[in-house]
Amino acid sequence: MKLLITGASGFLGRHLVAQAVMRGHDVRAQVRPVSDIKSLGWENHPRVEIVRADLRSRAGLDDLVRGVDAVISNAACKAGDFYTQFAGTVITTENLLQAMANTDVKRLVAVSTFSVYGFLKMSDRELLDEESPLDTDPIDRDEYAQTKLVQEQLARGFAKEHQGKVTVVRPGVVYGKDNLWTARIGMELGANRCLVVGGRSILPITYVENCAQAIVFAAEKEQAVGQTYNIIDDDLPTHRQYLRALNQHRKPRMKSLPMPWLVMRFLAAIALGVNKLFLGRQAKIPSILRPAALHARCKPSTYTNKLIKDSLGWSPHFALDEAITRSVADTDPATLTPEPATEQTTADHETRTCA
Amino acid sequence: MKSAVIGTGEISAEHLKFLANSKATDLVGVCDLSPAAAGYAAKTFGAENAYTDYKQMLDEAKPEVVHVLTPPQSHVPISTDCLDAGAHVICEKPVTLGHDQFASLWNHADKKQKRLIEDHNYRFNRPVLKIEKLIADGVLGDVMEVDIRMALAIRDGGRFADRNLPNPAHKLPAGVIHDFITHLSYLVLRFIPDPDKVSAAWTNHGGDDLFKFDDLDAILIAGDKHARIRFSCRTAPDCFAITVRGTRAEVQTDLFHPFMRLIKPRTGGEKLAPVVNQLANGLSLVGSSCSTLRNKLMQRTPYEGLHTFLNRTYDALQHDAEPPVTFDDMDRTSRLIDQMLAEGNWV
Repeated sequence: MKLLITGASGFLGRHLVAQAVMRGHDVRAQVRPVSDIKSLGWENHPRVEIVRADLRSRAGLDDLVRGVDAVISNAACKAGDFYTQFAGTVITTENLLQAMANTDVKRLVAVSTFSVYGFLKMSDRELLDEESPLDTDPIDRDEYAQTKLVQEQLARGFAKEHQGKVTVVRPGVVYGKDNLWTARIGMELGANRCLVVGGRSILPITYVENCAQAIVFAAEKEQAVGQTYNIIDDDLPTHRQYLRALNQHRKPRMKSLPMPWLVMRFLAAIALGVNKLFLGRQAKIPSILRPAALHARCKPSTYTNKLIKDSLGWSPHFALDEAITRSVADTDPATLTPEPATEQTTADHETRTCA
Repeated sequence: MKSAVIGTGEISAEHLKFLANSKATDLVGVCDLSPAAAGYAAKTFGAENAYTDYKQMLDEAKPEVVHVLTPPQSHVPISTDCLDAGAHVICEKPVTLGHDQFASLWNHADKKQKRLIEDHNYRFNRPVLKIEKLIADGVLGDVMEVDIRMALAIRDGGRFADRNLPNPAHKLPAGVIHDFITHLSYLVLRFIPDPDKVSAAWTNHGGDDLFKFDDLDAILIAGDKHARIRFSCRTAPDCFAITVRGTRAEVQTDLFHPFMRLIKPRTGGEKLAPVVNQLANGLSLVGSSCSTLRNKLMQRTPYEGLHTFLNRTYDALQHDAEPPVTFDDMDRTSRLIDQMLAEGNWV
């Protein structure tokens, strides 16, 4: 297949390209106009065509999409204010889908997130699966959750309005090289200390190579069309176990301050009550003290990856210890060994810019 | 009044918050080129409909007031269409890219017997209103000197530093500084309304091809009165500082982190007045720090003046009275910007 992967120079995007090539696909990798492509790990691979384009602008996007068999929509913005994230996540997706409609490309794998779930409505220890409710009132959630919810709606709209063959994948916390800390554990207190909320809660994580492989599987398999899959690894650790695994490779070790989930939940409820009663709900409370955000980050839930495993035959290749070892190693797991390039492929391999 | 908004960028949040909470208005439409952005804004702020074509919105929703919040390059054609459709226009700054365009658009509004109002929101921030009251009460005496200084780290990240998709503001006559120059100009003109000499140093200290200018240092002289406008992206922290010096007293404030320092003749005579001033201003600073904390907690931003501006504007529109930002205010502001940009006035 020829796959277009957007956001290809990002943390997950680099691995998506690597996994797609390893599984025998040709890849058109979209990166932004001034992204550094010198150390992507596959920038000289003959089966990767790098195309520079900013998805926030419609200019040139039809050319970006034309001729591919499927699109993995991975570009998103996790930093900045609401309007920055809206442009980087929602407008980009809207423009991409319009280009797909214009060029009659139907197959879409939309990379969503666990953040779209409405954790506040769920009970403690409840099983979170693909049928769990989405957050319908995300006003107290962070910008990421708000914009990813809109993005997912766009992908579903593409299925309805343009007969798109859409798969939505919702990874849990994706970890890997340079991305080992997650706010789901609690809160960092300086460089080497952290507050661990609910140490025995299960952490819904997926190692970036495992996750990338699952997403490429979803693009390949016909049975994935119309489906939504949660992506998490097997044998999920608790918050405490994950931190312990990290500390085996970390110097100095991260010291943890335990905070029981029920206490944190109580404190957040108090903060909400004070905000409602005395401050007209206008006060800006830190996210860890906002119930909607706290529940999304730290709630003790249970998780399953049964659907994606049964449906696509995927199973995570790397377990936690090996994944962390790969993450802290000097070598970059997203690096592909270039195949011997023929004269033709070398000539083909030029970075293109959409204008 | 039936209101509508065109453009759902960052500033739209403040306009839409006002419209969503105002009893004087009925938000009949929100328009953006992006269906997702228009739909999201309409849902969040309770607009009756979302549009991607503003002409369709003007036709179907028939708003009486339209807020034009698009990039400045599009203000003239969009505002003209809104006026033609019989709507008053509240337009983000700069309303036009030069005085000629402003004069022409104003005449068009006049012909249509509709109001054209440029957003001069910082004029309505509480510290500025307090300074105006001090002047009106004679506390400062005659205003002799004004400094308006804005420092913003626009090169260190954010929308103006984005090289992937350069912000449209880079293409304005003064580059990104044009996005702020209206604020600096109307504020200085509140205190020194008729400068007869203007000189400006426009510089690109960063020296790359993304920014046209990243620094402005302008001097205005009106008879024996002097004013200075500064814009810098190389000093920290960010500030929007105003100092007004009169024949009797001096006052300072910062609109980003509001405080008020007033140095005036006080009881105690010439020798003790400095001590009394320091004590009084110390107490005032303590109060300001509490206010700043409260503002942070309650998410009150330097855009507080926008809500007062819109409130007064709608009040004027409902009663067919003169809006708080008048033709003179806009005309002088637009002329001053032209003067600063005229190469003959460059230092």
